[in-house]
Amino acid sequence: MLRGDERGRAVLARGCRVSLHFGDPQIAIGAVFAVLSFLLACAFLVIGVQAGSEVSVERVHRVGYWLRKRWLALLLVIGVLVVGISLFDLPFASGSDAGRTVVKVTGGQFFWSLSPNRVPAGAHVRFDVTSIDVNHGFGLYDPHGHLIGSVQAMPGYHNKLDLNLTEAGVYQIRCLELCGLSHSTMESTFTVTRR
Amino acid sequence: METAATATPTMLHPQAAAITVEARGIERRIGLLFAATGVVLIAAMGVLGLIMRLTQATVIGLSPAWFYRLLTLHGTGMITGSLLAMMGALWYVLHASVPLRPGRMLATYALTLAGVLAVLVATLVGGFGAGWAFLPPLPFYAAGQWSVWSESLFFVGNLFVGAGFCVFCIDVLEQTTTTYGGLTRTLGWDYLRGREEKAPPPQAIAATVVAIDGLISCAVGSTILVGLLGRTYDHTVGIDALVAKNLVYFFGHSIANLTIYLAAAVIYVLVPRYAGRPYETTKVLVAGWVGSLVFIATAYSHHLYMDFVQPTWADIISEVASYGALIPVAVITIYSMTMLIWGSRYHWTLASTLLYIGFAGWAIGGVGAVIDSIIPFNFRLHNTAWVVAHFHTYLILCVVVWVLAFLAHLLERDAGRTSSRAARTWTVALILVGGYGLTGTWFVEGTLGIPRRYAIQPSGTSGYSMVGASFALLLALGFLTFFLQLIPLARTAWTRRHSYQLVEHMHSWTGTHYQARGAPADDGSPLDAAMPARRGLPLASPTQLAFGLAASIVGLAAFFPQVVNASEVSNRYHHLDHAGHFFLGAMLGLLLGSVPAISQRLGDHTSIGMIAVLAAPTLMMLLMVPRIYEPLERHSFEHALYHLGMAAFGLLTGLGATRLGLVAGRLMFVLSIGMPIMFAAAMT
Repeated sequence: MLRGDERGRAVLARGCRVSLHFGDPQIAIGAVFAVLSFLLACAFLVIGVQAGSEVSVERVHRVGYWLRKRWLALLLVIGVLVVGISLFDLPFASGSDAGRTVVKVTGGQFFWSLSPNRVPAGAHVRFDVTSIDVNHGFGLYDPHGHLIGSVQAMPGYHNKLDLNLTEAGVYQIRCLELCGLSHSTMESTFTVTRR
Repeated sequence: METAATATPTMLHPQAAAITVEARGIERRIGLLFAATGVVLIAAMGVLGLIMRLTQATVIGLSPAWFYRLLTLHGTGMITGSLLAMMGALWYVLHASVPLRPGRMLATYALTLAGVLAVLVATLVGGFGAGWAFLPPLPFYAAGQWSVWSESLFFVGNLFVGAGFCVFCIDVLEQTTTTYGGLTRTLGWDYLRGREEKAPPPQAIAATVVAIDGLISCAVGSTILVGLLGRTYDHTVGIDALVAKNLVYFFGHSIANLTIYLAAAVIYVLVPRYAGRPYETTKVLVAGWVGSLVFIATAYSHHLYMDFVQPTWADIISEVASYGALIPVAVITIYSMTMLIWGSRYHWTLASTLLYIGFAGWAIGGVGAVIDSIIPFNFRLHNTAWVVAHFHTYLILCVVVWVLAFLAHLLERDAGRTSSRAARTWTVALILVGGYGLTGTWFVEGTLGIPRRYAIQPSGTSGYSMVGASFALLLALGFLTFFLQLIPLARTAWTRRHSYQLVEHMHSWTGTHYQARGAPADDGSPLDAAMPARRGLPLASPTQLAFGLAASIVGLAAFFPQVVNASEVSNRYHHLDHAGHFFLGAMLGLLLGSVPAISQRLGDHTSIGMIAVLAAPTLMMLLMVPRIYEPLERHSFEHALYHLGMAAFGLLTGLGATRLGLVAGRLMFVLSIGMPIMFAAAMT
């Protein structure tokens, strides 16, 4: 057990570090969340302070219900927009393999096998991902250590992930689904070469 | 809404008397038993969480084997603890208007504790570490870490917890629909359509929705758990990883989600007591709970976005449902509670303060959850620490905080006082800073793509774990100060235990009078005795009985030799044929038990009926293991008996369902029919 632990630490020591990259979509997502959370916290603070005052129920109802209609409308508009737009950006692979470099990815306790394991920069890659034993998560990190996409590796199924890899370098693969003892050390690399 | 004639509530808003029903002894005892046990479990699991965070921070050198054991225990225990406490809280607020049965609640308690014990042994002694989601087939790929018995025990433990929740849900569904006269009246749909002048109280509507979704979730969960239990006995059983994942997440996600909806029913009663304003059912509230009924059961598929073989329509439904679930919460429950509080001269005590801050946890955690449920965002956040962040936000900073609030409410009411303002301030400050610091660190890690469930963090990221662990310590300190305040409150409550006044109450729906806060003699439930037996039968009219007969005749097809022979092609078809036999038996049972003359002879044995609907489908699926039935197939008589046995289990289920009345009986019948069909899909 400890040996596995040490082996894991040795593998990770070679792994790339994660660092902030302001161009990442995740940073934008995190920023939006932070702003919304801050606004909510302010709202609850104000309501908490106002809770101590005395306002007639009639007035609370008049203003509250007026505001609630607009609050509902706002949430519905945001929902339609966000959900609607998201449907045009689904990550699921579609179409045939033609024009794509198919990389066969197989996960197993506790390894990744990729064939081929290197492609030229700018290649339209289709990762054909499966597993020989349990569920694994194929998480691909770019040379800067940023998660650029993931797909599950399932026994008995092939999940196909399309990515355009424009940046040359060594990409890190990490397992993103709990798969057993050495889940956190189940890593591999994938190389994108310069043209 | 219940009325109290001369209630003199202490520790509540001065105007709370008119809207507060004094709790009877049985309600306080059940509430206290469940809340205290839940809190002990939550606290113990919290310590495990802290140990894991310190391990990720490399402060503690826990081996990955132990890390995953603790992770599995932490997840299962935390959900179970929250569920247990919230079931007790719901019982406490609902029992005044709906005659829930204490015996059923004690059965729930015993089953849940048996489940907890089994999971404790399976993980700590047996070494089981496949995570609380136990995604099949991981439990069977132990990598030398656990043995078959620990797998089995873990599944049995989960089955027991599920059975405990089922008992609770059946009782709630049976009693609410009996009290308020049918499902559509109980859910307020007749009121919504203008057919009724009055609707049941909000907590009854919420409880009924929770019970329905809870029973559906438990049926799905039992199916996959029994299938996996069979797999431990027969290793030739195949598992369809995609179907199994759907079933596991339907169960796990929904149960975890339902803890917060249970809590919603509780706050509908508790918050008005501190705001001094009544919270009554409106058409908007009814419509919102219609949405929640649907969204709770359809949102789970967002766990499978990254399984691209999952049908896209299922992902889109899930995305819409996940966002849709936000609307009733944000526009109705949280919003209307803040309206209730605004300008109310809210009475701040330890309990009411915790109730209030819980709303923020639900709102902020909910925003994180909704973001993660948008497919393109999930593509970048799936299984990163973001997921850990959002569910810990609404579990720790809402559900757990409300569990503590409920416990404090019980003790403050009994003690007639709250703790000092300084102590409350420290507690709340530590919980807020520690809690949001802990979850905020996970949110940052999530945006950086740091994976979750790592015993060893990726290189260069253990610093985040250290920061998170530091905040976790502050949070633990906050909980500690809370418990320290509870001790003197409990002591005061104990000394005052015989000094309560008797107060006359009248239940507005049934018109029953009863006294609360009385001597133990009052603990017998007058409402129970007054409740008319009007549960009804699942097949109530001649037309429905004729339909049952017709369906039974159609079900006979499962015994046609051609169908039986064709089912030998594969295990999946074979299981479907078993499902057909079970359907025939269940339909016959429902039909026979619904015939008034037979029903009368069977008597009003609701407990036996409940045991039948829970045990018979489970036992039937346990026998659907090739290692058991294949030897029998070589002898035609035994083979025929085996198939008849499937129908016999169905018969028991159908008969049992008729004892549960119209609504619960029909639902349990439909779910039991669905279970072997789902089993056939998942186990190959």
